[in-house]
Amino acid sequence: MESQDRTISKRQLGVTLALAGMIGFVGILAIDIVDVGRPGGIGPMQSIALAAMAATAIVGLTLIPLGDAPA
Amino acid sequence: MSGATRRAYVLLMSAASAALLFAFLVYILFAANLARFPYDYDQGEGFEAHDSVLFSRGELPYRDTEAYPFYASNYPPLFHMMAAPFVWFFGPAYWYGRLLGFLGSLVSAAAIAYAVYRDGTRHRWIAALAGLAFLSSNFVYHIGPLFRQHTMMVTFETLAVVALAGAVPRRDKRGIALGLALLLCAGYTKQLAAITALAAIVWMFIRQPARAWLWTLGFALVGAAIFLWLNIASGGQWWNQAIVANVNVFMFEQALGLFNLWFKLHGFLLIPAALLFVYELYLERLSIYSIWFVAAAMLGGVASGTWGAGDSYFVTSVAAICILSGLFFSRALAGAWRFPRALRFNPASKLTLVAAFMIPLFYLGYARATLKTPTDGAFRPLAAVLGIEGNVRESFYDSASFNVGGYARIGYFLRAEDWAAGTEIVRLIEASEKPVLSEEAGFTMAAGRDVVTNPTQLRNLDRAGLFKGEQLLAMIERQEFGLIILRAQFYPPSVLGAIGQGYERARTIHMNGFDYIILNPKALESD
Repeated sequence: MESQDRTISKRQLGVTLALAGMIGFVGILAIDIVDVGRPGGIGPMQSIALAAMAATAIVGLTLIPLGDAPA
Repeated sequence: MSGATRRAYVLLMSAASAALLFAFLVYILFAANLARFPYDYDQGEGFEAHDSVLFSRGELPYRDTEAYPFYASNYPPLFHMMAAPFVWFFGPAYWYGRLLGFLGSLVSAAAIAYAVYRDGTRHRWIAALAGLAFLSSNFVYHIGPLFRQHTMMVTFETLAVVALAGAVPRRDKRGIALGLALLLCAGYTKQLAAITALAAIVWMFIRQPARAWLWTLGFALVGAAIFLWLNIASGGQWWNQAIVANVNVFMFEQALGLFNLWFKLHGFLLIPAALLFVYELYLERLSIYSIWFVAAAMLGGVASGTWGAGDSYFVTSVAAICILSGLFFSRALAGAWRFPRALRFNPASKLTLVAAFMIPLFYLGYARATLKTPTDGAFRPLAAVLGIEGNVRESFYDSASFNVGGYARIGYFLRAEDWAAGTEIVRLIEASEKPVLSEEAGFTMAAGRDVVTNPTQLRNLDRAGLFKGEQLLAMIERQEFGLIILRAQFYPPSVLGAIGQGYERARTIHMNGFDYIILNPKALESD
């Protein structure tokens, strides 16, 4: 029954994750540029978030070649 | 499998079952030991009991903390509403709240076993081990039998995810509505369920984007309507107490320590769960369990680092791990994989044979990693055989230990001296003719006195700039409290300062491994 529905493909999921990861990565780095008053340096929480965003982007990129297979 | 192989498999699976059944037995004994204890075991239990008392009277616990008795709660209402009917029949007590939590954990385990059976290869033994594995987790053992709403949140989350996993692919409207209603129940049991709701909605969008919009809209509307009603009924206090004051500082070391502990205890099941996630991500369709696992582990894990949080924040991820690892094992045993030609292992039967030996070993390793048991009384001979010594209050072994920030020093069995200590504190309260300010509510409830203040909530409000406390400070300065009982000293600095000015330590009573400091009014200079 579910096959009658339009579903998200692995490629679409991959593009979404890759974009979200990249935008998130830049956004987290930008915190230090926008909020100039905060104590300097990339904090431990920021480091975790950056790693998570990088991992998300990499996973997304690896999904793109899988094409139209349903996610 | 040949006859000899089959016998070896049954032997190993029986050993794994025995190990996990032993963990279940210790869990039941601990729950029974704790249920009878009439005072706080974990910090905050008494305030959850008091919330239930307020609901039983038709009152909301989201109140103005500037007026006597300066009490408010930051927890959503559902769990305490479930306990309220017990208040009508049995009065204020701890046992029914603890029983609800314990039963909730059993329901979660049953739902996990059912999910592994239904969505795996209908392997009953592995399904049963998956459910028992959940109950063997140190984190579940720790929080399950307490009068805390957390376990019930996990129960609603697990039921919701299992319901949606079955209903969404079949486009079963009733099943989807039930799953989303259970998610709302989880959210109105504890705010942390927002992570599971997010995971479920993301999965629904991946499966059926168009339908997911409609279901999400309905879900959001019902959730928002309840939210709005609570806020109007409490005169805006719901927003202040449950949302604004519910934001706390993040402690990186605590989160890191708990992540390490989570892996150390659950690694034997975490690895197969992660493997199934990777398999689904690249070679099959993502299940709701996989997305739930990633969201609960990552977001719940990070949330565990906030002040006041702890190992319980990983319990949702433990439920997801138990389901995913059970599905992995049942598929491995049935050889139910769909690998591309280049990755196919020939002959597949050898892979199944390896799985038959590895699966019970994984569960045995997990049972050893999560081992906890009393080391005295009837358990002494077993402790001697296992070569373990008590590392908690010298009569209880806990493999998690508590060298990690956020892992609570509880889980051991209570003794007669704990009861005697609690009774002595209640006697002191009864002897006082004035109101008593107690950092834990159980003692004042047992003495039939007002529950005055909720220290952690006052602290949260103070940090959010929402607490002035003029009336409370004036009462302390005028020594209108006959007695003050402190434990963790969670009150805002201004309150602790006023207590230091007007009261002095009379004695310290040790209970449950904690020191309860009893303070009397200082003699006034004019005296």
